[in-house]
Amino acid sequence: MKLELKNISKNFHGVKALQNVDFQLKANSIHALLGENGAGKSTLVKILCGVYQPDSGTINLNNKQEVITDPAVSLSLGISAIHQESVMFDELTVTENIFIGNHLTKSNGLIHWNLMHEKTKQLLDSLEANIEPNEKIKDLSIAQRHIVQISRSLIHDADIVIMDEPTAALSQKEINELYTIIQNLKNQDKSIIFISHKLDEVMEVCDDFTVLRDGQLIKSDKIFNTNKDQLITYMAGREVNQIFPKNHIKIENEIFQVRNFSKKTQFKNINFNLRKKEILGFYGLVGSGRTEIMKSIFGITKSDEGEIIFKDKKISISKPSEAINQGIVYLSEERQQLGITGLMSVKDNINMAIINKNSNFYIMDNLKEVKNAASMQEKLNIKVSYWSQLAQSLSGGNQQKTVISKWLSTKPEVLILDEPTKGIDVRSKSAVHEFMGELVGEGMSIIMISSELPEILGMCDRVVVMYRGLIKKVLDVKDASSEQIVKIASGEE
Amino acid sequence: MSIIPDKPPFKILDILYKKEFILFIVLISILIINSNITPYFLDLYNLIDSTFLFSEKAIIALTMTFIIIARHIDLSVASIIAVSSCVLGYTTSLGYDTWMVLLLTLFSGALCGAFNGAIITKFAIPSIIVTIGTMSLFRGLAYSFLEDSYYNKFPKLVSNLGNGYLFGYIPYAFLTFILLAFVFAFILHKTSVGKKIYSIGNNPDAAQYTGIAVNRYTFVLFTLNGLFSAIAAIFLSGRLSSVRPNIAFGWELEIITMVVLGGVYIYGGSGTILGVVISIFILGMLSFGLGLLNIPGVGIIIFTGLLLILSIGFPSFVRTLRRKNE
Amino acid sequence: MKKFLLNRDFILFIIICIGLISVGFANPLFITPSSISDVLTDTSILIILALSQMIVILIRAIDLSVASNLALSGMLISLLSTVHPELPVYYFIALSCIIGTILGVLNGVSIAILKVPFIVTTLGTMSIYRGLIYFVSDGKQVYSSEFSEDFLALIHFKFLSLSFLFWLAVAVFIIFYILLNHTRFGRNLYSLGGNPDAAKYIGINENKYIILAYSISGLFAGLCGYLWVARYSVASTQIAIGFELTVISACVVGGISVMGGVGTVLGCLLGALLIGLIRNALPAVDISQFWQLAISGAIILLAIIINTKTEQRKEKTVMVQE
Repeated sequence: MKLELKNISKNFHGVKALQNVDFQLKANSIHALLGENGAGKSTLVKILCGVYQPDSGTINLNNKQEVITDPAVSLSLGISAIHQESVMFDELTVTENIFIGNHLTKSNGLIHWNLMHEKTKQLLDSLEANIEPNEKIKDLSIAQRHIVQISRSLIHDADIVIMDEPTAALSQKEINELYTIIQNLKNQDKSIIFISHKLDEVMEVCDDFTVLRDGQLIKSDKIFNTNKDQLITYMAGREVNQIFPKNHIKIENEIFQVRNFSKKTQFKNINFNLRKKEILGFYGLVGSGRTEIMKSIFGITKSDEGEIIFKDKKISISKPSEAINQGIVYLSEERQQLGITGLMSVKDNINMAIINKNSNFYIMDNLKEVKNAASMQEKLNIKVSYWSQLAQSLSGGNQQKTVISKWLSTKPEVLILDEPTKGIDVRSKSAVHEFMGELVGEGMSIIMISSELPEILGMCDRVVVMYRGLIKKVLDVKDASSEQIVKIASGEE
Repeated sequence: MSIIPDKPPFKILDILYKKEFILFIVLISILIINSNITPYFLDLYNLIDSTFLFSEKAIIALTMTFIIIARHIDLSVASIIAVSSCVLGYTTSLGYDTWMVLLLTLFSGALCGAFNGAIITKFAIPSIIVTIGTMSLFRGLAYSFLEDSYYNKFPKLVSNLGNGYLFGYIPYAFLTFILLAFVFAFILHKTSVGKKIYSIGNNPDAAQYTGIAVNRYTFVLFTLNGLFSAIAAIFLSGRLSSVRPNIAFGWELEIITMVVLGGVYIYGGSGTILGVVISIFILGMLSFGLGLLNIPGVGIIIFTGLLLILSIGFPSFVRTLRRKNE
Repeated sequence: MKKFLLNRDFILFIIICIGLISVGFANPLFITPSSISDVLTDTSILIILALSQMIVILIRAIDLSVASNLALSGMLISLLSTVHPELPVYYFIALSCIIGTILGVLNGVSIAILKVPFIVTTLGTMSIYRGLIYFVSDGKQVYSSEFSEDFLALIHFKFLSLSFLFWLAVAVFIIFYILLNHTRFGRNLYSLGGNPDAAKYIGINENKYIILAYSISGLFAGLCGYLWVARYSVASTQIAIGFELTVISACVVGGISVMGGVGTVLGCLLGALLIGLIRNALPAVDISQFWQLAISGAIILLAIIINTKTEQRKEKTVMVQE
């Protein structure tokens, strides 16, 4: 056994992120680590990387017990991770990013730039990557950045490479290239922990799998002993077809149209419409321009040209407050940065968008605030013990519900949700889905950006598929297959 | 469905953890110690006169509180005082009408503040960097205008404001500070404006996404800070009855100390006017007491610097220790 | 080639040349070799301090206490030299460096261990260190007549008709060039400033680097304490007051980003040279010295605005190819 984790537990402020989890990684194998967002995968990875220390449990590497006190120890033990978030240095060159923290030096202690450049060139050539060692990271594409990260693990001579959703933002061609590299790594006696939400790819690439749910180990086995549906059941904890409580609501006339929306280098010729009581999905790779369009609609950034027609009238939105007044709101994907205000109370968070409405000639009316917060809390079932409780003390799911409450307080007609269920637990997730159904039932129209295809297929009426800043196709979900959508989103159709 | 209470059940011990309470205890102890050390301290006239030492700074501390809560900082206030004092002296020397002089002085301060605000919001540059620049720009303008001369003639009203008392007891500067403190406490804690300032300070990006006009607030706050610096400049010029370009040198530090010692978090989002007011009295009584003990002004400067660092460093150090023990 | 012409450092170099030539037209005396050598001597302390400040700015911080640190170290060794004039000058230089380093370490500890934000810490120590000068000196000055000959001699040493100060600045430049480009320590400073979160993953200990950066800043502030006192033959409570702003403006003009992780040693040198040139050129073209502060303030603002503008333009990611 290459790596063996036993009885790992980790708590954060009383939230059990991991409970007595066991994990075993065989030598030269590719091991899928699966689970919904918030299941504990990233906590486990961060423990292996030395970012977190487990509260209890042991880590055995090559049958020797190790304590990974910090990231440097993890690296020296031959564990290397390719992270989802950027752990690259944009202003530094490819060479330097590959050797970072481990610069080669000459005998006099100074850095040996020539040798590093040479090794980088060899390595990139061996990976058949067309990248110049002297280029700065900020000038590379996402796929090229992944290759630099992989090169980094190779230079560190890592035995164990952790890949956290390496294919999330890649096109099909780039994904195939990556698979080849992964197979090569395996043939060089390395073990790979592979985290992915794409189960087809897991079935194709991996040898073993481990499923976590709510911080607990659910199942660990060989991949050929299972199938896709079974994996979904393990991850979600119930039958597949129960996940999306789609109510069948009669869709009414058009309410919102976007015409010829363009913004230089970000998106071009965007045309779509939204009907009353409809849920319209936006699918595409990360960086395909979905979020950028919504930000322009909401008035955060300015589009170069194009118009918005709302309820048969042309409207102009130059800042968020104008959008909110029109009844259009946008829930950002970045909940921690742009959604929740952690150090303010739950009540203040829920009321943040209607501060003016809660005051009489500038003077705050506490009664109005409590009333609104209470009605929202009841509607979404937010678990809060008292109103002055800080929002950061809530769980991810309850935080998301708080942010949704903030927007519902403004009584919007068009609700734009950007990855609304990213990083929240399974139960909150289905609560959010259920709630979306209720909202459209009440007459609201919803635009939902999502990277999870099942969510799109389960919740939406139509789906807009984007590729590199362009709308490639608008499909009726009833007639769409997931294969077709993925193909379009990878630019192959 | 149970009703959710506003706050957790009240415990008497909670009071002990309140910053304002701790500050209050510190203030009382200083008063007691001071009055034990020197008999002159508790003299009513002495105490009232001691407010001259801090009232002008205290006025700026009020707007600075707003600025720091909104996650900004303004290092240029003392330099704005220099500019406004020059405008005061210059317009007087031109023989302008008193009200015109005051109006132009206030306008010059607001203009400097607006300049800060415009650069910060227009180019999205951190306020600390911008005001490091304008700190020397504004001070430099005062120097290039006055060179090594000075102004010593001001309208009668200005001298009265700087040195006079209402009903013979309450200095005008102190009175202005107290009245403004009530107004500012009301704005910050009871109005929608205050609520928005807290939101901005806690998470400016989220506030912008929530439709709060973050840039407009920032601009107005900096303009207001400039205006208040000009008000302080009027009182100060009147009191000193001479204006040199190095007037109020180093005040930005003392003002920021007042605010931070008062429990306002330097990275924005929390703090109260009450805390700042108590901390102003602490610092005022402290320097008054040290002055009575014949400890020179430099001692007070060193002490202020230490207090500033320790008032932030000590709590966060204790917090880290406690976290490690857990 | 085009890349080279658009290079920031190259543009800065051209600006300096143009500035030098145009001042030369207004006042030909300014561009005689002896006058230029004077300008270089005069700018040397600024160069040394700007380079050490650069290290701090690279990790997203600022050291506002350098001028006070310089003045305090300078005063302490001056006082010692009046009591013990017989000690060799190297002793004083070493002592000044040690004092400066200790003051720098105090800054670093306050920021890294006590977690007091750098702006509060260095604003605080700026006045603490300045205040301490009054305490140790009782507000008195040490005049040129009170220094020993030895103490002042080194500063007048010349090589190839260029001053000791100039050669020292050259040496410091070479040291920093190697330190920042060819050692792990220097490269790690860039990583830490460029992406502090990612730096954690590669095992860079942030606290250690903060303390080291401030120690280096303190060390050179201490060194400049001796240089300043010896060059101007006076130690007082007022020396180098406000000089930290000049140092920071040199860095900012030199393209050291206050957002961290960006900037070259050469750029920093050129920034200091440009500021030095302006300071020396103003009297040469009959602009009152009282304008200096205002002009350096305006230059800081302008440089920051230009830097921010160019940085923002670079950030935009391209998705749609036109």
